[in-house]
Amino acid sequence: MGRGSHLMGTDRSDQPASPLTGRTTTVVVLSLGVAVVLGDAGVVTLALPEILRDFGAQVWGVAWVLIAFNLVLALVAVPAARLCVRGDPAVATASGVIAFAAATTVCAVAPSLGVLIAARAAQAAGGALVIVGSLELLVATTGVERAGVRRWAAAGVAGAALGPVIGGLLTSAFSWRAIFVAQIPIVLLVLPAAITLHGQVVQRRPPTLDTSPDRPHLLANLALALLSAALTAALFLLVLLLVDGWSRSPVVAALAVTAVPVAALAAGPVFRGMRAGTRSEAVAGSVLIAGGLTGLALLPGADLVWTLAPQVLIGLGLGLSVDSLTAAALRDRIPRALHGGWTIAARHAGVVVGLAILTPIFTADLRHAQTPAEEAIARLVLDAPLPASTKLDLAEQLGRRLSAESGRVPDLRPAFESLRVPVTQAHAVAALERGLEDQLKRAATRAFRTSFLVAAGLALLALGPALLLRDRSRS
Amino acid sequence: MSRLALPLIAVVLVAAVLGVQVAAGGGRYVPLRPANPCTPLRVSPVPAQLEPLAEQIVLLGLDRAACRLGISRERLVLALAETRTPDPRESAALKAGLIDAVDLLDSQGRLPKVSQLLPQALDQANLPGIAKTIIEAIPDSVVDNLLPTAPLLRRTVDELDINRLLHELNDPHQLNSALQSAILRAAESQILGRLHP
Repeated sequence: MGRGSHLMGTDRSDQPASPLTGRTTTVVVLSLGVAVVLGDAGVVTLALPEILRDFGAQVWGVAWVLIAFNLVLALVAVPAARLCVRGDPAVATASGVIAFAAATTVCAVAPSLGVLIAARAAQAAGGALVIVGSLELLVATTGVERAGVRRWAAAGVAGAALGPVIGGLLTSAFSWRAIFVAQIPIVLLVLPAAITLHGQVVQRRPPTLDTSPDRPHLLANLALALLSAALTAALFLLVLLLVDGWSRSPVVAALAVTAVPVAALAAGPVFRGMRAGTRSEAVAGSVLIAGGLTGLALLPGADLVWTLAPQVLIGLGLGLSVDSLTAAALRDRIPRALHGGWTIAARHAGVVVGLAILTPIFTADLRHAQTPAEEAIARLVLDAPLPASTKLDLAEQLGRRLSAESGRVPDLRPAFESLRVPVTQAHAVAALERGLEDQLKRAATRAFRTSFLVAAGLALLALGPALLLRDRSRS
Repeated sequence: MSRLALPLIAVVLVAAVLGVQVAAGGGRYVPLRPANPCTPLRVSPVPAQLEPLAEQIVLLGLDRAACRLGISRERLVLALAETRTPDPRESAALKAGLIDAVDLLDSQGRLPKVSQLLPQALDQANLPGIAKTIIEAIPDSVVDNLLPTAPLLRRTVDELDINRLLHELNDPHQLNSALQSAILRAAESQILGRLHP
């Protein structure tokens, strides 16, 4: 369709634009759809170990289940937005929902890792249409650009933050396939809403205004990309630390990382009353995210409680900055869907870059952590108040465990379970087992430190573009 | 409200969290580091029993050997556990380290007398009953005069085949047998040395 008849997203006004009627349900449904699609970026994080086992795959191959989605979403978001601009956003959204639901169904029944990765890529392509289309539909439904954009951005933040948690809980309760099964009915709810809005998104752009697209907001999108790269560490590395490093169950890990989404959702009500302005919110958010990641790099112990305060900082930063930067990237820019596409592309390119930078760092550090961990274990065994014969037996068993799980944090329990000792030695053996587990947790925690610090550095880099933003108070 | 207020609140929150974490040991939560094997060790009293004595000598000997090799005791143990075949330099360092350990215990008066160890050694020895009875009948003073502990242990270390010992670490019977034969050869050599100076 020509630009003259469909100029979606060209309304630069903050004035109510005669909201479409009976819209609360529509807004909720569209927000849910955006949250589900953007939650998909990290929803499989806690399911990766189970997927790895199911398909007998390599770690790098399984990581592509995560990477493929984010990479395709980053690449397709802008073209999808262009499609949306040229046509009816309701049609684009409905097409995206059908494609996303079909791809998600394939994910749920994928017989091989290759099929799963391909279906994840297709999911992202369909999802891109849902996201950019929903932006236009939300603005049209609420009738106020800022309100629509804020709901769209908030839904994205909620989805990104809650994705890993919900994915972890579903994997623990059922299986990784349940993650995809659960998404299908939710995203299909968007379909009737989109059909209802077909042909109703009217443009109110004054004909005297230039209709050529504005350039993307470089500073806001750059800051979004850097913060998304940093947030990858928060949501991806923290979960890995809890599950693989500290041997927590996926359920416990999922519940533990709820601090991030809870704080992210609380950030608005807590700070928005201050009317600090876009730049202040983006700067504060970057500082909070960098500080929280530094906190994760400097954990004083392997107790879950120590992760809570850093997570709250990250959540508050996420809620403040992503929302604020997204609004800044979209404000007064046309076509809105296209600029929405740019923010999505920036965020998910950031996720992919974050994974590309951080994964080799932490896997190398985990490998290098093996030597100090082995030395600490050797020291504790040598100095244990146990007879030499018991130490020799134990050393043999521990050696087998360490070489069997080279490159991963080993489970030493089988070594102790197979040890036969007199009752008089049981207390010393139990103390030694606790000591060795503590050493492994220390080594794993230390191994993640550099990655968290690099991620904190990425968040600090976001301060640069954030400080250069034009400060505007938010209503 | 000043546009600086929100960033300042963020800085204060971050400083508070990081302050608490660092004060609680954040940044120092790392694995135990190997001790310097060249640091002089405080030697605890050794019970007059074979296994604790052997363990004390081995632990001190590992420290001294690692110090001679310029690596940590833990790294040496892990290397030996992995290869089970020490190179000539490691073998020499292990023997020298064990002798250093005997010397250290001797200089601090921590070595038990052979007469104190003899009953347990005889229990474990594969000797005919009559031989055990005869040895038990020898007065302690004669035993200790003929077999002073430190020289006996030094000779035992000299007699040890380090490679064989490392290969038999997982077989207690073979290990005991290798140690016993080294001790017997050392004792025999020492007695003969005393009788035919």
